[in-house]
Parts: sequence; structure tokens; C-alpha cells
Amino acid sequence: MSDIMIELKELTKRYPGTETPAVDRLTMEIPRGEIVVFVGPSGCGKTTSLKMINRIIEPTSGQIILDGEDVTDVNPDQLRRRIGYVIQQIGLFPHVTIEDNVATVPNLLGWDRDRTKARVDELLDVVGLDPDVYRNRYPKELSGGQRQRVGVARALAADPPVLLMDEPFGAIDPITRTRLQNEFLRLQQELKKTICFVTHDIDEAIKMGDRIAILQERSIPAQFATPEEILTQPANDFVADFVGSGSTLKRLKLTRVRDVNITTDALLGRIDEDKHVLRQRLQESDWTAMLLLDAEKRPSRWLRAPDFLHDRPVAEMGLPARAMIEPQATLSDALEEMLLGSAGVAIVVDGRGAFQGILDVDDIITSIQTMRDANAEFYRASKLIDPATAIA
Amino acid sequence: MAFLEYLADPSTQRSLLEQSGEHLFLTLVPVAIAIVLGVGLGIWAHRVPALSRTIVGATSTVLTIPSLALFAIFVPLVGIGNTAPMIALTLYALLPIVRNTVSGLYSVDNAVVESAKGMGMGATKRLVKIELPNAWPVMLAGIRVATLLTIGIAAIAVLAGGDGLGTEIFRGLRRIGSAGAFESLLGGTLAVVVLALLIDLAYLAIGRLTIPRGIRE
Ligand SMILES: Nc1ncnc2c1ncn2[C@@H]1O[C@H](COP(=O)(O)OP(=O)(O)O)[C@@H](O)[C@H]1O
Ligand SMILES: [Mg+2]
Repeated sequence: MSDIMIELKELTKRYPGTETPAVDRLTMEIPRGEIVVFVGPSGCGKTTSLKMINRIIEPTSGQIILDGEDVTDVNPDQLRRRIGYVIQQIGLFPHVTIEDNVATVPNLLGWDRDRTKARVDELLDVVGLDPDVYRNRYPKELSGGQRQRVGVARALAADPPVLLMDEPFGAIDPITRTRLQNEFLRLQQELKKTICFVTHDIDEAIKMGDRIAILQERSIPAQFATPEEILTQPANDFVADFVGSGSTLKRLKLTRVRDVNITTDALLGRIDEDKHVLRQRLQESDWTAMLLLDAEKRPSRWLRAPDFLHDRPVAEMGLPARAMIEPQATLSDALEEMLLGSAGVAIVVDGRGAFQGILDVDDIITSIQTMRDANAEFYRASKLIDPATAIA
Repeated sequence: MAFLEYLADPSTQRSLLEQSGEHLFLTLVPVAIAIVLGVGLGIWAHRVPALSRTIVGATSTVLTIPSLALFAIFVPLVGIGNTAPMIALTLYALLPIVRNTVSGLYSVDNAVVESAKGMGMGATKRLVKIELPNAWPVMLAGIRVATLLTIGIAAIAVLAGGDGLGTEIFRGLRRIGSAGAFESLLGGTLAVVVLALLIDLAYLAIGRLTIPRGIRE
């Protein structure tokens, strides 16, 4: 088993009646189990490049090698059943239920009923939709974010080793998009699919990509490297321009909550505990606030000392707990949540919403400091080695 | 009051009922043939956009031919009787069906078709399982219009030797001024209207039963 899952060789697309090719001799190796992001300005040929991989668009010339096999001329329908496909508009079938949508490829492959049904339920669960609630619904009865989850479930149905995604989160509101990105990254940690992901948004590319291909006109790669390299060592002016300024802020998008030290020994209480017990625990601690968890350990409310002056049931005291983030969220997401939640802290929860720890603004500032130092170190080092790159 | 007496007469009732049956046969057979031909032509026109204009254009031209002339054209070929009217009615029914099949297929979201293709669904399966079900509400509307149109025009089949409710209407028309003529005219016309209303109700029910729940309304 080679490390290369997809190999594109001199892949070219010339649309009929056009002078210059939309994709010009694209050659690229996509490693097994990684997310490779194609990013570049609108019209540079990202979509064309992606759609040639499953031959929705037939290449004019060149070769596509999938897992060592030349698939440039094989039966396209057979090929596509081995490749998951998610597009921005999702394209769920409006006339059938969510269950039938997700079952599309298993049905094409002739799986038996029980196996398909079990797989559909499993997948809906994986993308965070309760099968009992959503199985028999129709696409029009779902929100945009839920439809996108179904789109991902449908693409994963027959467990294809490769996934092609064309701006999959592009048409979704920013808050839902962040959540879907994080969920998808968590999923990918388990699935380890080989994924080609198209976006025009460099921030999304940096967040999602194990490797990023920054594409110029005619889909010519300006740089194909890890997000870290792209940020710290842009290959040329095109890349530097495209990545833009504010590289510290961009680095915040590179660092994940799980990579920094979070506070795990915060003062906790349970929502069903006696009010006096809670009050005493708060008074005896050196914390100014206490976080109440529900029976499933999910954060519920923040309590401070003055909240005990009012005569209210525990479940209505203090403020509702907001700004919840998952470990695979970036520091940038966390910062955003903190600002929205106006508490100055974000609560870290696992996939089920159970409390894991607390992240506050100071933690983020500390890690910015560390990055600055590391950056300075890098530039000092590169100056010694190669003055030219130090200037870029 | 003469009209009520006319309606109350058992022989009137018998002949109106009988003619309604003939009328239904005269329309539903052409509509059935037009559905098969029209949906086929519509799918073809959608597949080959260059043909689309020609096919839809040809079927619209039929509608501009005066109906009497179209009925008459086929008489020398197939003789007097129901056959010539039924051929003419088939041609009339064709346009709404072809046009709505084409526009119904065009109305299916591109992303839906592309995602089906991207999952490895072949062209035929895509047509049958995705495109036609989603185009169906528009197609059904075309079939309904075709049927109502045909019910109306079928009333002149009698002039080419056919039967149906035109028999009663023209029995009145030929004797206009004499006793009972107006009643026949009105009775035959009303029966056509009632038939059309019933057919319309039937289409409502067919829509309820055949349009998938996910795309209703
Ligand atoms: N079907 C087509 N026919 C002709 N030109 C096309 C077609 N699709 C895309 N193009 C052109 O090819 C180029 C690349 O398009 P595309 O791959 O969609 O870019 P991107 O996804 O990066 O925005 C653009 O200049 C676009 O206008
Ligand atoms: Mg695009």
C-alpha cells in the first residue's frame, strides 16, 4: 500500500470554444488519509480540477491514478461509487426521505435492507442527527446545517476511501460553519479518509488542511505545503498576497484548543445540589464563580456569590453557561466564542457536550506570546541561513 | 322550466349518460397516447437541447390549426367515425404535455442531478429515480391541461362522424328556433362542463396520490 492515494499527472481541461485551458497540466500527489485543500481566487480552476478526479468533468488529457490504479478510462459510474462527493448546494434528493438519501450508494451497490438500514442509522448518529427523529423526514424539513450533515452522511454511506468536497460549508452561516468544520475535523480523526477539499477562503484552508495547494490561474500550484509552511515560508508574492497580513491571527487558526493547557480544576457544582452546600463551597474556594453541570455533566449555569442573595431555585440562579467549544476548535474560534459570550472564558466540552475544562483569554494571550517568540526565532534563524527568504 | 322537464326525462338522462361515456373514451384514449408520445418527446428534447426548440415549436404549430380543419384533414385518410377526431385530439394534447415535460425536467435542481451523477447513478436510473419524480408536478399539470383542452374540443368530433356529447349539442344547433333545440344545446354543453369538473377533481386526487410528499406544495 503506497502512501499516495490520488495521483494527478499532467491533468488538463480545455473547455470547448475556449483559448486557454481551465486546468493546465496539473500534477499532484495526494497522500493517503490527509485533507488536501485546493484554495485560490475565484475562477482559477479549483472546481474543474476537483471534478476531474471523479470525472464529472472528463479531462482533455492527463491521467488520474487512484490507489495505484489508472482510472482515467474506467467506467465512471463504478469509479464514483468509490468516491464520496459533497458539493456546496448539497443536492439532497428532495422527493425522498433522509434515510433514502443516505442509502443512495448502498442501494446502487445492492446491499441488503438490514445492512443498509443499520448503516444509515449509524451515519446519522455520526453526523449528530438522531436517526429516530430524522430518518423519515424530507430535506425541506431540515435547516441548512442539518442538510449539510446529511450530505456528508450520504457521501460516507458506502465507506469510500476518498472524499471530494467542493466548498461544502460555503453556503452556511458563519457560526454553524465553524461548528460543522470542527465536527468534521473530529470525524476525520477517526475516519482517516483521503479528502480533497475546495475553498476560496484561506482561513478555512488553513483550518481544514493537512496540506494546502494554493492555486493560480489555470490551476497552477503556487505552493503545495503544510499550513505552517505556507504561513511562515510563503513561496512567492502570490502566496504571500493570498495569505494576507495578520499572520499571528492566522496562527491562532492553526492552534487547536486541545494543544494548549486548559483549566481542568475549575470549581464545579451539580444543578441538583443543595443551595447551601453550593454556597459554602463557593465561599471556601478562591474562585469567584462556580460552574453548574447537569446530570450528563453538561455545563448549565454560572453562579457568583451575589446570586445567592435572591431567593430562586438553583436551576434559575446566575447566568446560563455559554461559549462552549470542542477540543478541535481553533484558538481563533475560541476567541470568537468568548467575545460573543461576553464572559471572557470559553467552556471546553467533548463531543457529547460534557465538561472538560475552561479556557480563558489569558491562555490565548500566552499562546500568542509563544508564537511570536517562535516566529522571531524563525526569522532570526533564516536570516543567518538565507537573507532572501528573511525579507519575504 | 322546459329545461328541467328536459332533464327529468329518462330518455334524456339515458342519452346524456351514454354520450358522456363516449366523450370520455374520445378524450382519454388520445390523452393516454399523447402522454406516451409527449413524455418521450419531452425527454428527448431535454436531452438534446438543439432539438428542444424544433419539437416544442412543432407541437405548438398544431394548436394554431383551426380545430375543424384538423379534424377534417384526417377524414380522407381514415374515413368517417371516431378515428379522425381521436388522431386530431392526440395532436392537440401533445403540446402541453411535451412543453411541461421539458420545463419540468429543466426545473429539477442541477445540484440534485449532479450529486446523483457524482454518486455513480447511471443516466437511465437518474432519469427514472431522480429527474422524472421531481419533474412530475409540472408534468402532471401539463397532462391535466391537455385533458381539459381535449374534453372541450372533443365536442366537435361529431362533425367528422364521431360521437360523444357533441351529438346532443349539434342536435340542438341544427334545429335552433324549434321546440327543444335550446334544451339540447344547453344540456349537452352543461354535460361537457360537468365532465371537465369531474376530471379536474380526479386530477387533484391523482396529484395527492402520486406527487412525493417531500416536494408537495
Ligand atoms: N462548463 C464550462 N464551459 C466553459 N468554461 C468553463 C466551464 N466551467 C468553468 N469554466 C471556466 O473555467 C475556469 C475555471 O472555472 P472553475 O473550475 O469553476 O473555477 P473555480 O472553482 O476556481 O472558481 C473559469 O474561467 C470558468 O469560467
Ligand atoms: Mg468553484
